[in-house]
Amino acid sequence: MFGLIGHPTSLKEARSKLKKLGYDHLGEGDLDVWCSAPPQLIEKVQVVNPQGKVIQGAYIDSCFVPEMLSRFKTARRKVLNAMELAQKKGINITALGGFTSIIFENFNLLKHQHVRNTTLQWERFTTGNTHTAWVICRQLEINAPSIGIDLKKAKVAVIGATGDIGSAVCRWLSKRTGVRELLLVARQEKPLQDLQNELGGGRILSLECALPEADAVIWVASMPRTLEIDSSKLPNPCLMIDGGYPKNLDGKVSGEGIHVLEGGIVEFFKDINWSIMELAEMEKPYRQMFACFAEGMILEFENCHTNFSWGRNNITLEKMDFIGKASVKNGFSTLNLKNQLQVTVA
Amino acid sequence: MASLQTAEVALLEQPVDAFDGLPDFTTESYKDAYSRINAIVIEGEKEAYDNYMSIGKLIPDQAEELEKLGRMELRHMKGFTSCGRNLGVKADMPFAKEFFAPLHGNFQKAFKEEKLTTCFLIQAILIEAFAISAYNVYIRVADPFARKITEGVVKDEYLHLNYGQEWLKANLKTCKEELIQANKANLPLIKSMLDQVANDAAELHMDKEELMEEFMIAYQDSLNEIGLDNREIARMALAVVV
Repeated sequence: MFGLIGHPTSLKEARSKLKKLGYDHLGEGDLDVWCSAPPQLIEKVQVVNPQGKVIQGAYIDSCFVPEMLSRFKTARRKVLNAMELAQKKGINITALGGFTSIIFENFNLLKHQHVRNTTLQWERFTTGNTHTAWVICRQLEINAPSIGIDLKKAKVAVIGATGDIGSAVCRWLSKRTGVRELLLVARQEKPLQDLQNELGGGRILSLECALPEADAVIWVASMPRTLEIDSSKLPNPCLMIDGGYPKNLDGKVSGEGIHVLEGGIVEFFKDINWSIMELAEMEKPYRQMFACFAEGMILEFENCHTNFSWGRNNITLEKMDFIGKASVKNGFSTLNLKNQLQVTVA
Repeated sequence: MASLQTAEVALLEQPVDAFDGLPDFTTESYKDAYSRINAIVIEGEKEAYDNYMSIGKLIPDQAEELEKLGRMELRHMKGFTSCGRNLGVKADMPFAKEFFAPLHGNFQKAFKEEKLTTCFLIQAILIEAFAISAYNVYIRVADPFARKITEGVVKDEYLHLNYGQEWLKANLKTCKEELIQANKANLPLIKSMLDQVANDAAELHMDKEELMEEFMIAYQDSLNEIGLDNREIARMALAVVV
């Protein structure tokens, strides 16, 4: 069985959705109630791949909402409790969605392996970042040419280049895609220099300097709400792939020649009979999902019960090859501009 | 869709280990708070013993088993008494008696009316979940002596919870309605008990929010085990909200 740990995008949204699903306690509850709420196994689902293989899965809501980010102890508990529940339910491989993996990584939850009378088995969990990174790269490779960007001649900026997903994207783009130049943007100088050395190239720039130069921009960093982008200074055409979480780029940039694509989203080849993805505000909730969730499903389809994506900067090109191939085989394709799906062949 | 405030982004990047320190067990304010928390724990274990002995009278064929459980609670009581002694704290027992009075009153009423379901809900679900949650939180911030004792107690407490669950599970068809009614009357008492000790618990580095969450996890687990689904449990849990 595969598992997905997710959470609502806001308290308001969470209350109305959970009320609809019949969870009165959470539907009526304020932030304090949510802070004290146990994780919920909301729904079980069956998924069939194009070869007819059937797998079972479960969606666990951690009852985390982004309003809790300022309460780190609460956020930490939400993630650990949801992981404990997944393990207690005997789920083989569980993907950490949304803020779950971000909190796990940034709050160093590896130190908290014991939750009550449970010792968390890390091999049962994956951040899903390998698949997310591969999907973002494919989204660039497929969509840039469709709006007239020749990647061989293009400068591609990666915002959040030193993160787990960002560094994997940089590796792929420099070794596989072969873009003209990589523009590396991140907050800390030292990891940036290390990445540049590893890649044997790429130019380190500030966000302000990178944007006017970049024909394509891949965002894989959390973006402050206060960030402003001057659309008039962007090249035309320009492809922006919003691969961060939460996705909030759409309202910040618009203008002629600027194309914004939600990054790290995949579509399954047929409907999945679940109600929970409506919470994630996907355009087609019965087919579309975060690539990290899909990684959990892919690993289950492939009987690959291991923490495939784990820790920071462990994503190799070989791992991306493996997950990419398995993604296509098991019926997933990347989300593309204007929702035109294309078969993603790596 | 939600987006992050700058402060939140910054917070995500902070090392958080500094917030996990243990309290100073020797201060007067710690000992003062401990005198009440320790008393509640001691009184809780004593109530549990009395309650199991009472339940045994309602189901005589189980009396022996229940007495065994009750004696275990008495051992816990002694363990916790030694925790107070170890810190040089005298437990404030009159406070604890008063603290348990409403729940005690409801149990006694149900016992007199031979309402076994209500008795089990109060003792085997609510009080046990309350105890387990408090102990789970306390273990993380206890002095080394008390930590060891509490860890042993938690293992036992999971056994009790299972006992009450088994009875309710076997009788769910006939007892569900009474279970829901009894929950409505008694779950709010647990909430107000938590509210009453929130400040003292905070002095011991136990967050009210965390206590409540641990309680809800134990409560949800045991109701799940009995055979209620998540939506039914959510409706029952509503009693702490309104």
